[in-house]
Amino acid sequence: MQSADRYRIAILASYALALHGFEALIPAPIPWLRLGLSNIITVITLFFYGPRQALTVTMIRIVLGSLLMGTFLGPAFFLSLSGGLAGTLSMCIVMTLFPGLFGPLGISLIGAFFHNIAQLFTAYALFVRKIEAILVVLPFLAAAGTVTGAFNGIAANYLIQEIIKTGNRR
Amino acid sequence: MSFLKTTLADKVLLLICIFLSYYSFAYVKEALPKGTEVRIEVDGRLKYAFPLNKDRTVELSGVIGRTTVEIKGGKVRIKEAPCPNKVCIHQGWIESGAIICLPNKVIVTISRPDNSKGPDAISG
Repeated sequence: MQSADRYRIAILASYALALHGFEALIPAPIPWLRLGLSNIITVITLFFYGPRQALTVTMIRIVLGSLLMGTFLGPAFFLSLSGGLAGTLSMCIVMTLFPGLFGPLGISLIGAFFHNIAQLFTAYALFVRKIEAILVVLPFLAAAGTVTGAFNGIAANYLIQEIIKTGNRR
Repeated sequence: MSFLKTTLADKVLLLICIFLSYYSFAYVKEALPKGTEVRIEVDGRLKYAFPLNKDRTVELSGVIGRTTVEIKGGKVRIKEAPCPNKVCIHQGWIESGAIICLPNKVIVTISRPDNSKGPDAISG
């Protein structure tokens, strides 16, 4: 790995961490409902630098983020890890298989969708063990995932256009 | 760098996502086990438990008077009540959840039959 890559990953991961921390300060109507703002950084990384960088940034964000929040290796950490990995992996796979088919909006929606599926599955496998409880939450998560996925996708799209316009891509 | 813009596939995917979330609400509502038993509590005590699928009308006496509960076609309503504001009557027919009449202390709930009340095991 080039040292320029390392700088880039460090900067992107710290952006993601900052958004992650900022998001924790916003009061959520439901405890598990999160905007997933750091996903904006994942999408931007994926579009500019590729799958490996995006996965690295996500992993750094999840591990460091949970250490900073004090949730490392707790239930929230495993939910965050499974969701983050599934979301980023699904985005990487779609980007690799169908390059150019989806823009940031579509990629972000796909990420949000698989993020939620993986979290529900983890919650079921590790904690809840009651399919009814999962089924009740599913529609709300699907709707929330659509809204936050679209929001993050539009934000990422806007940022990507701005970065291209100002030529600040490093 | 035109490939970074929002594509047609993006918009289609967004529509699919919106449709799926909308549809999943309806689907989950259908898939979940429905309540099959009507329970009527008066003053905190369980007075009656009827199957929801059998039509009948019950009159019961509450704290301030007589309340009439009607079960019909898988739905329940309070038909008559002595309370002054008739909130329970205005709630109309319900398929799930509960009707609560505070003045008369009558609570009608639809729930799944409670298996724990039956015998734990039957020995021959």
